[in-house]
Amino acid sequence: MNEMKKTAITLSVNNETYDIVAFPNRTLLEVLRDDLHLTGTKESCGEGVCGSCTVLIDGTPVRSCLTLAVAVQGKEITTIEGLSMGEKLHPVQEAFVNHHAIQCGFCSPGMILTSYALLAENPNPTEKEIRRAISGNVCRCTGYAKIVEAVKSLAEEGK
Amino acid sequence: MEKFSYIGKGMKRIDTACKATGEALFAADLALPRMLVGKVLRSPHAHARIVAIDTAKAEKLPGVKAVLTAKDTFGDKWGVFKYTQDQQFLPTEKVRYVGEEVAAVAAVDEDTALEALSLIDVTYEVLPAVYTIEDALAPGAPQLHDVYPNNLNIHVFINVGDVEKGFTHSHLVREDTFSAPEDSYFQGEPYAVAAQFDHAGNLEIWMPNAGPHLKAKPLSNVLKMPLNKVRVRKITIGGAFGGRSEISPADVICAFLAKKAQRPVKIVYSREENTVCTRQAHSMIAKIKTGVDKEGRVVARDITCHMDGGAYSSTGPIATSVPFLCMEQAYRMENVRYNGYRVLTNKPIRGMFRTHGRAFACGVDIQLDMIGEALGIDPLTMRLRNARQTGDTTPTKSYVASCGLTETIEKTGKKSRWAEKFGRLPPYHGIGIGCNSVQTGFPMGIRGGSQAFIKLNEDGGVTVITGIVDNGQGNDHMIVQIAAEELGLTPDDVQLINADTEVTPSDPGSYSMCETFIGGNAVLLAAQDVKKKLFRIVADEFGVSAEQLSAKNRKIFVTKDPQQEMSIAKAVRMALTRNESISGEGSYWPKVDWRREWVKNPSGQLSETFSFGTVICEVKVDPETGQVEVLEVTASQDVGYALNPKVIEGQFEGGVAMGGQGGMLTEYLQWYEGRVLTPTQLGYLVPLAIDMPTINNIIVETIDPKGPYGAKEAGMSVAMSAAQAYCGAISNAVGVYFHEYPITPDKILKAIEEKKKQERKG
Amino acid sequence: MRLPPFQYLEPTNVEEALSMIGIHKETVKIMAGGTDLMNRMKLRLIEPAFVMNIGKLRNMDGIDIGDTETVIGANTRLKDIAVAPLVNKRFRAIAEAAFQVASPTIINMATIGGNVLQNTRCMYYDQSGIVLNGLERCHKRGGTVCLAVKGSKRCFSVYQGDMAPALIAFDARCVLEKKGSIRTVSIAELFTSNGVAPFAIGADELLTKILIPRPEGIYSSAYRKLRLRGSVDYPLASAAAFVSVANNRKVSAFRVVIGAAGAAPKVIDGTSREADVEGIARKAYDHAEGVDNLKMPGAYRRKMVSVLAKRAIQAAMDGIKEGM
Repeated sequence: MNEMKKTAITLSVNNETYDIVAFPNRTLLEVLRDDLHLTGTKESCGEGVCGSCTVLIDGTPVRSCLTLAVAVQGKEITTIEGLSMGEKLHPVQEAFVNHHAIQCGFCSPGMILTSYALLAENPNPTEKEIRRAISGNVCRCTGYAKIVEAVKSLAEEGK
Repeated sequence: MEKFSYIGKGMKRIDTACKATGEALFAADLALPRMLVGKVLRSPHAHARIVAIDTAKAEKLPGVKAVLTAKDTFGDKWGVFKYTQDQQFLPTEKVRYVGEEVAAVAAVDEDTALEALSLIDVTYEVLPAVYTIEDALAPGAPQLHDVYPNNLNIHVFINVGDVEKGFTHSHLVREDTFSAPEDSYFQGEPYAVAAQFDHAGNLEIWMPNAGPHLKAKPLSNVLKMPLNKVRVRKITIGGAFGGRSEISPADVICAFLAKKAQRPVKIVYSREENTVCTRQAHSMIAKIKTGVDKEGRVVARDITCHMDGGAYSSTGPIATSVPFLCMEQAYRMENVRYNGYRVLTNKPIRGMFRTHGRAFACGVDIQLDMIGEALGIDPLTMRLRNARQTGDTTPTKSYVASCGLTETIEKTGKKSRWAEKFGRLPPYHGIGIGCNSVQTGFPMGIRGGSQAFIKLNEDGGVTVITGIVDNGQGNDHMIVQIAAEELGLTPDDVQLINADTEVTPSDPGSYSMCETFIGGNAVLLAAQDVKKKLFRIVADEFGVSAEQLSAKNRKIFVTKDPQQEMSIAKAVRMALTRNESISGEGSYWPKVDWRREWVKNPSGQLSETFSFGTVICEVKVDPETGQVEVLEVTASQDVGYALNPKVIEGQFEGGVAMGGQGGMLTEYLQWYEGRVLTPTQLGYLVPLAIDMPTINNIIVETIDPKGPYGAKEAGMSVAMSAAQAYCGAISNAVGVYFHEYPITPDKILKAIEEKKKQERKG
Repeated sequence: MRLPPFQYLEPTNVEEALSMIGIHKETVKIMAGGTDLMNRMKLRLIEPAFVMNIGKLRNMDGIDIGDTETVIGANTRLKDIAVAPLVNKRFRAIAEAAFQVASPTIINMATIGGNVLQNTRCMYYDQSGIVLNGLERCHKRGGTVCLAVKGSKRCFSVYQGDMAPALIAFDARCVLEKKGSIRTVSIAELFTSNGVAPFAIGADELLTKILIPRPEGIYSSAYRKLRLRGSVDYPLASAAAFVSVANNRKVSAFRVVIGAAGAAPKVIDGTSREADVEGIARKAYDHAEGVDNLKMPGAYRRKMVSVLAKRAIQAAMDGIKEGM
């Protein structure tokens, strides 16, 4: 087995600074869930396909299961926990709840962050653009119909 | 005054805000103090005798706190039924599929656990294996279990009327064979279990499940502990779809590891383990022979179905029966014979899957299309002529109390403009229809009923205590919605304790569609019990009779004179000042024939009521690539009554995706002998947002006489009908009837090419 | 899924990077976007002693559209290439290919260099222990059998990268640097057509730039990809076409490159003067390799390569008509 030493990593997550000591082969997903106990980000496939591990890095959605924690120092990481505004839901979260876009909830954090990033880049997406933007987020429960409705409702409101 | 405050409204669910924020905890999210990481060592062979297991090196590895093999368990064989007890969870003699559990470790971190697994030495004597139904049944085939000669696990035989006579009197008889390989559940959440024992030897265990009480009993049997010491806890569950119903080796292994290590242990499955080592759906070959009269009405039907069950029984008798039962519920037929064979092979274990056998469901329906074509009758009319009706009795003697199948056929036909389109679409453009029916539970002996309690607080709030479990479909919300409505409270006033076997009373679980009907009825009865007690107090106080009272908006009032009101909080306190403790209890046992048994006696009332549905699908096919573009799907179902229309639409839409889009276009497992080659999200293709069509939802309500507020079920039927409708639409588009599923582009292209060849010849 | 142990290297400039791979050679694996490397490591297909993150290297990303040549840094994210207006205008097939890689989130991370250098794939190779334990090692894993094609003496793994066919259609080249020297080769020359070792690149070399010559005259291009779903999946067949016409509207250059049809992208015809679409389609079929080691049967995939070649050419010719 190859040798490996733990290294000090400083991560900025949801506007908070975390200093941890970890092996370099820890993914960002593992560090978020196991070291920082931010379990909102999920693992559903481990290979960057399903989107459940999606987090934002400097506002861009990425696969945290394919990202090394040590490689994202100095970047601003946003997880689902960073989206809600204190006790209030973020408008994207609220839309998902109101439009029944959540059933079992396992894909929801990744789906919500991806939708949030889409609207940040394109405040008025068409249905086609919405479906493409979330095409890398697998949902087994909803058939996506109400997820698309939820995002559409935000587009119309210009939120 | 509006009839209902919450029932029938598409109000938002009570449980989704915490899922939106990521706060909701799934089993893999749990972190208990001093928790260890559990990992399972799995068989690399499809069939092999376990000669020896040497764990010495693993045990010595620093950081390893427990190593488990069969000798640490009691070695008893377990089964869902008394006559299917064949699984040990950690086998003592031999392994029967690639991926089967052989040993396990609990260590301080994942890397140590993985290293420990690599240090366990297992000596196998490889045995010949069988991978197909044909090979498994062949004389002289290697036997998986001594108790199932010729690897025949289950044989369901149903024979009603006189099928042969029926055929001789038929105007037209067709026989076709349909087949499909395994589908796979691919729940969003990969399986995970966490377990810990306390100082008094009580077990607390969390895992995704479709019925905590159905997990607790087997655990109590296998661990040899009384039920009251086995606490299956409530946890957020990421989907089940039929694949998390019975106890899993991971549950048993985790519990034993926690016991041995005297520390909490968590096992988290990878996506591959979830695909290979929990459950898969059965692959099936269905031979269907149907005779009809001149009008296309089915006179006789003879079905032989072989299903590949994998290495153990699991819910075998149920899985072997349900495909047939759904069909006999949906369509009228006097004479029917069914031979269902569940065969064992050296492959992972198969269970019940939402679509319950696409080969079977699609086969029955597409054959109706074929027969219709020969008679000059269109597919929709064929369905109307054969549809189940209210007041019928099915061949296996279930009385149908409410049936809106015809209404669903007519409404989907109208919405999809079937009459304008069928037979009139341009080439490679097609439309298809499918119908099915689903039961609301089945006889489950002592576990077939549900009970609920309601506790009242002095400020008028309540806590509902029920065994109902939510797999993501919205059952938690259903409980609160029913209780709030019946009690005259708001949903915020209703707290919920459910799916926790330490506290909650028994409930059959959320599959074969009984949570709303059975569980919901129990909650309703418990709420009515509370209401009766409170009304007595208020009636006394106002000098009226209880019948003259209503409850709404946290108040109890005289219906015809609402100014005479009392807050529910006050009524509760009034009871308490009278030294009367107030609480509610309700239990519901469906009026089914408890003597009915899958194999020994497949006759009698199966469930109290049935849901019925129709799906119509329109597609376009690219004749050069064989690829299918799904344009529009219309799904309709007689759900009895929609307790929450938005929740029900969610089930329709999810069903279209799973049964139709995935089940008919892309989902199938590929094999290399007994090895799953497609265990990941890149190998097994579930539908994505970009490919889904427009879905129209039509809820039909027949107000079932027994269902809570008239509700029946809504979670399963659309998946089956969607599969049938997609099959019909693609067949219509190409002009060839497809018998093998899923209908992937290579099959479509081949069919198009062969059709062209035939046309050139003729 | 756990990654195997490794030491992490993070050079900040190209010289440092070249020095590191010069010293450590085969024991280093280069991480750009990580979307290919991380998966291969999780499956334990490779367990390098060192992982070198080139994501922080300066001057290795960016699209510099020049008059005669366009330079794209190897670290440029596929998303940036997909949306760049001038890439869409001048090198449409390359933008289309970038847009169709995997899914929108993956192209936020994946780089053009990484996509070109992705390893070949096969259903019998890209698996973890739960599938492969107990089986003989195949050629690509250093063994002596092929699990996909019984008895085969060679590897049938498939190159499924989307960018390379489109780049080759434009006759693109790349810059490979190592300590002390630099060389430029055509993208097509990067490939060995050997599934076991698909690339002719030294362990001490780093791909730093993609160079795309500006075609002359009026031209257009297209990239077509076949997969069962509209996103996420690797191509089961692909084709890139480049067509240019002279002032007299006669075809002056014509290049079709097929992908997911063997261990390397294949140029079907580089010199034809006539737009013989059917002939090209037949040739594409003849040159395509397809065995049953991906999601769809090999015979079907070969046919699809042919169909896509036709469609890509047609789209390119339509593009010329539209005045692109």
